[in-house]
Amino acid sequence: MRSYFSDFPKTALQASYWLFVIYLLLPLALMMAISFKDANFVAFPIDKWTLKWYAQVLQDKQFLEACAYSIFIALMTTLFATIVGVWIALLITTEGMIARSVIFALACLPAVVPGLINAISMRIFIRVLDIPTGTGAIILGHTVHAVPFVVIMVLTRLRSMPNNLVDAARDLGADSFVAFMRVTLPYLAPALAGGMVFCVLTSIDDFVRTFFLGGYQTTLPMLIFAKVQGGMSPEINAIATLVLIVTAAVGLYAEHLTRRSRT
Amino acid sequence: MQPVVHFRNVNKSYGSSLAVDNLDLAIEPGQFVTLLGPSGCGKSTTLRMLGGFETPTSGEIFLDGQEISKLPPNKRNVNIVFQDYALFPHLNVRRNVAFGLELKGMASDAIHKRTMELLSLVKLTDFAERMPGQLSGGQRQRVALMRALAPNPNVLLLDEPLSALDAKLRQQMQIELKSIQKTTGKTFIFVTHDQEEALTMSDVVVVMNAGRIEQMGDPHTLYAKPRSRFVANFIGETNFIEGKLKAIDGGLAAIEWNGSVVHANLNGQSPAVGNTVAAALRPEAISVLSQKPANTIAVSGRITQSIFKGDHTSLTVSLANGQSVVAQLDPVALSAITGDDVWLTWRENDAVVLAD
Repeated sequence: MRSYFSDFPKTALQASYWLFVIYLLLPLALMMAISFKDANFVAFPIDKWTLKWYAQVLQDKQFLEACAYSIFIALMTTLFATIVGVWIALLITTEGMIARSVIFALACLPAVVPGLINAISMRIFIRVLDIPTGTGAIILGHTVHAVPFVVIMVLTRLRSMPNNLVDAARDLGADSFVAFMRVTLPYLAPALAGGMVFCVLTSIDDFVRTFFLGGYQTTLPMLIFAKVQGGMSPEINAIATLVLIVTAAVGLYAEHLTRRSRT
Repeated sequence: MQPVVHFRNVNKSYGSSLAVDNLDLAIEPGQFVTLLGPSGCGKSTTLRMLGGFETPTSGEIFLDGQEISKLPPNKRNVNIVFQDYALFPHLNVRRNVAFGLELKGMASDAIHKRTMELLSLVKLTDFAERMPGQLSGGQRQRVALMRALAPNPNVLLLDEPLSALDAKLRQQMQIELKSIQKTTGKTFIFVTHDQEEALTMSDVVVVMNAGRIEQMGDPHTLYAKPRSRFVANFIGETNFIEGKLKAIDGGLAAIEWNGSVVHANLNGQSPAVGNTVAAALRPEAISVLSQKPANTIAVSGRITQSIFKGDHTSLTVSLANGQSVVAQLDPVALSAITGDDVWLTWRENDAVVLAD
């Protein structure tokens, strides 16, 4: 740890830190608080507390279906993005491969292209190829967006892998496929776990691409969007709170996994 | 006897640079062979070609009479111990050692039995369930060795495996390696740049320089009768006697040096009389006398430096021709003082004529 503004009073520095924390967490805390409010209006003060919004949400067939659909899309996206991402990372680290930096730049491009532009271009693309909007198109769009994260995480891990590990496996009788399955892949496991969780989270969170590529079935973000347009109600707060808790838990667990892999 | 490994006219070039230059090398089974040389001399490339990690640009490599230079590593009955051990970090010690056996399709009880036998050979049975990250350098070294020995290879290749260990542990491992080689009776091919390591363990040392074999022989021969200036310099400490060859007489060369004519063993060389020749003379072969000896040839000089080294004293003697000669001295034999004038003499056959 370093000290940057050691001439400043310590309390001032710490106060600014707590201001930042409040700025981050207060809106979320308010949102969660209102989800327990026993009234139909999203406003303070809260006179009576209730769990009825949660009960209502968990019995809401529409909500549960949207959850299942979002999770399905996220898992398929993760599967494809992982395969493509690992393959690109392997290509980039392959001996004698030309234009590695070009491959890397192209693979990372979808992460920096604005989501809206990306979504519109994908929409035109599927129209040209006559691919119908719907599940397949959504997965395609989400996968393009998720690949860069897998590439970057796997690449970082691959670069820390001793060169001799694959040689050692080959030497002990493994052909190149067996060496990959038994040595390279297990070595990549922590990065894969982190990358996959990231894929799931970005896919579940994605609204813009889904909006342009989706069919009649609604994903979770689209359902929330539709509900908000129908007017704010504590029920939406309950949905948001559930999503927040689940994604935060998954995200923190992934962070824990990748952190452990670094030691 | 058929050699277990035979390199025939093997070349390896990277672009325009030649890493291995027309290598011809036959290795007898059951020997501890060391490839010795400075970095970039081609020793590691030679080993990697045998392991299957490099393909020769031209030439043939035979293993047990079979040409293998185009086979992938997994199709060759040799195993390698890597410099950085290359243990699989996600597998415990037992699974690391068992890796090659599993790929051979051996039954799991047989694998377990052999793995534990091997681990007990290096006293690591208690560490079988540890991960490589939890082991010390010496323990990792032993695991890597046993992993490579497990599939029962014809030849074991060792690529500078001791270089990451500290001096004390390295000496201990040298003795252990040699004894494992003796017990298993396998051919070991060991690559190192450390001449002491080579002398300690090897039956045969192959000294390499610039992709070529400089000299090959048992450690004693290499030390006592180096063929070239490179070998004499690389192995141990050496003084060079350089001068005009006056005559050849009964296997001895008479060389004009520092105002007198000194003798050296011809060492299988046949230099032309009148040319300049060089001979190597080990410091410990030199006797340092305070008086000119009556009936042997001796050269005179003055002690310019005296360093006590425990078991001996290292003297630097300056000669009239400006050259410095290093001699070793029993510390109790003579109390040599810097500035003393001394006479140096040696048995004629202890100085050996070099090829270049």
